[in-house]
Amino acid sequence: MSRLATWLILAATLTFLIGPFLIVIFAGLSAGEALAFPPQGLSLKWYAKVFTVESFRASFALSMFLAVFGTLAALLIGIPAAYALNRYDLPGAETIRTIVAAPIIVPGIIVGLALLRYFVVPLNVTITLALFVTHTALVLPYAVRVVSSSLNNLRADMEEAAVILGCTRLQAFTKVVLPNIRGGILAAFILGFVASFNEVPASLFLSGPGVRTLPIDMLSYMEITFDPSVAALSALLAFMSVAIVFLAERLLGFSRYV
Amino acid sequence: MSDAFVSLAGLTLSYGETVAVPDLDLDIAEGELIALLGPSGCGKTTTMRAIAGLLTPARGRIVIDGEDVTRTPANKRGIGLVFQSYALFPHLSAFENVAFGLRLRKRPEAEIRARAEAGMATVGLTGFEGRRPAEMSGGQQQRLALARSLVMEPKVLLLDEPLSNLDARLRLDMRNELQRVQKDTGITMVFVTHDQSEALALADRIVLMKDGRIEQSGPPAELYAEPATRFAADFMGFENIFGVEGPDLVSETGRLPLGYPTDSPILAWRPDGVAVGAGPHSGRVTASSFAGGHREYVIDCPLGRIKANAPIDTAEVPLGRDIAFDLPQATARPLAA
Amino acid sequence: MFLNRSEGLALALPAALFTFLVFLVPVGILLSVAFQNEDGALSLRGYLDFFAQPLNRAVFLRTLKLGVLVALTSAVIGYLAAFCIVNLPPASRGRIFGLVVLPLMISPVARTYAWIVILGRTGIVNDVVVGLGLSDTPLRLLFTETAVFIGLLQLFLPLMIISLVSSMENIPKDVVPAARVLGASWLQVFVRIILPLTKEGLVIGGTLVFTGALTAYITPAILGGSKVLMLETLLYQKVNVSNDFVSASVIAMILIVMCFSANLALKRVASVRR
Repeated sequence: MSRLATWLILAATLTFLIGPFLIVIFAGLSAGEALAFPPQGLSLKWYAKVFTVESFRASFALSMFLAVFGTLAALLIGIPAAYALNRYDLPGAETIRTIVAAPIIVPGIIVGLALLRYFVVPLNVTITLALFVTHTALVLPYAVRVVSSSLNNLRADMEEAAVILGCTRLQAFTKVVLPNIRGGILAAFILGFVASFNEVPASLFLSGPGVRTLPIDMLSYMEITFDPSVAALSALLAFMSVAIVFLAERLLGFSRYV
Repeated sequence: MSDAFVSLAGLTLSYGETVAVPDLDLDIAEGELIALLGPSGCGKTTTMRAIAGLLTPARGRIVIDGEDVTRTPANKRGIGLVFQSYALFPHLSAFENVAFGLRLRKRPEAEIRARAEAGMATVGLTGFEGRRPAEMSGGQQQRLALARSLVMEPKVLLLDEPLSNLDARLRLDMRNELQRVQKDTGITMVFVTHDQSEALALADRIVLMKDGRIEQSGPPAELYAEPATRFAADFMGFENIFGVEGPDLVSETGRLPLGYPTDSPILAWRPDGVAVGAGPHSGRVTASSFAGGHREYVIDCPLGRIKANAPIDTAEVPLGRDIAFDLPQATARPLAA
Repeated sequence: MFLNRSEGLALALPAALFTFLVFLVPVGILLSVAFQNEDGALSLRGYLDFFAQPLNRAVFLRTLKLGVLVALTSAVIGYLAAFCIVNLPPASRGRIFGLVVLPLMISPVARTYAWIVILGRTGIVNDVVVGLGLSDTPLRLLFTETAVFIGLLQLFLPLMIISLVSSMENIPKDVVPAARVLGASWLQVFVRIILPLTKEGLVIGGTLVFTGALTAYITPAILGGSKVLMLETLLYQKVNVSNDFVSASVIAMILIVMCFSANLALKRVASVRR
């Protein structure tokens, strides 16, 4: 295949994948009142407006809370599980693996509905707690998988060496295992954070007036108002995600040499 | 209680239902350098792990320096172990790897520094303090792992296949290094190996193991010259082993008259012990290769294949030709059934 | 040292128990609803009623159709793109691959929203069409199957490209030139060399794209609206508009069965090669 054909195909593919998003960024820069491209004059007013919309601020805070603490909770139970599945010869290991991985296979909207009807309502659980639990469950499979693969690369005899040199089992874990799977844990956190922050289907039924995650708030805002503020917000969120991933990549890349 | 420094008594080791070592007795004297030798699955590594405390015995006792440590956890046992993979901590510098155990003991910083530096000097790694294990060669990693164990001044130093990951030249260096360290420190060492030449070269005493039991134990020269069983002989390089029935040597494929009397049920010869070029027997040469100081023949005869080494100054017998050979009484090693 | 099973179980149990209780149990109850009639006896009434309605049948078939179409189209584009990426010099390969992965980090809401700007009544496409005089009135491009198809394709294409790139990277370097030297045409190279060697990546990517498209909510909600329903948006309507929880449970079961079969097929094919 010629170089020209190669670059044409790649340019077309990337235009299709990323081009529309660049359009969103520009649409958000419009000085006009309606969503249009090319924008009617340039201004930052919609980017500024995003920060003044009360519901966006509340839902951003909720999404941030869910993404950070849902992922932390998933890591809290996911790291021991990954460790156990990796290092112990467990009876029923396959079953445990399947159970923990299930949230990835079951469509999110079903999860949301099931939790609403058979968890939130009968147990009288608050929506925020339900969202927290849901996001934790959805992130858990990523946490277990990513941490597992990073444990896989760490020989088990390293812990034995630590124990022989005087460590207790717990010390061997904190002094030898943990520092060496730091990168995997950070990667799992980033992955979980992004997945949770962008999650819609499972949170759909678990959202009420006043308690909404940001993406769902954006969806309902779009139904009512057709101004470029959603474009501006989309662009801002994308910058945030990309910045986090980029930063993590830099840090992870660096951490190998530092 | 015996005056042994390390004493294993009635030791039974198992993984779940599988018994790897049934009822093992072994005494090791202080300052001794012992090789646990045997093929994979013979229980040598399992035994070593039990001494280290990584495996709790199902039955039996482990006594070290007069103290019963059978139930002492690995981190309180005061034993050193150099892993086959070295198991260095990749996130720590060479220096911090060596200092790791001392830091756990909460020694003063000055003492840690002095002892770790001395430990690195002992194995010739001065100047490598800041390196990460990944930035060191295999031989350096091996020496670092050795230093990490030695600075803890363990009562016993265990080494798992210490030379197996090194190339031929480094292997020789490391062998000398281990002997020197052992001589300098007088430490009791137990190393595990499947390579009989390694055990012969390094150990004060070889413990040959098979199926979790001690097959034979003794100084290298003794095991080399006087293996007691078919298994020991095979492991020590007696490549021609045949049964005796009446006046004949027998194998699955046939028999050959021995020509002299013997009381043993089994006789064995090294390839060096088979005389070639003259003798009462003859067979066809099926393989012949030059091996520097001698020529190695494979001879097809009624007993099957005979491996024989001929001096290099004798004329080469081409492939397919018949060759005369002898299985002399002088080089025959009698074995128990 | 690591044989203490109860210790291992204690470590794994919180995660397993958590997922089981707050996830599998509610989902299990939800799925069982459709297998009961009003008296709670075992029954397939829910399923028969659901498929008796033409709208439901149409939505089911549309969802299946879009899932297959998106998977097939992304496979075609994916092969072209992956082949180009693998043959790039290493420096630009990483950068281009990064650009392919990048959209996955961006919120699907934001990515789907872009198509409103492009396909809407005052969007770019209609500006061009009306501006060139090809049509007097703006075309209705949103709320069509095509719009949903495009949205889904854009959303899930990266997954296919990533799977294909990683399996193409495992093809030994000189195999393709060797086949060319032996006289194979590009088509023959693809059918006889590349396709068999990347079968696994194709199946993994295909499963991800197919199940992704089946269970996408945002794209049909934004680009299809109530005119182009898919199973997920239909489920949402059944619950929020008509309070029909039996139908919701039926749809849930259909979605889960389709996803599980796709995953099972994936495992089967993946295990064929070692």
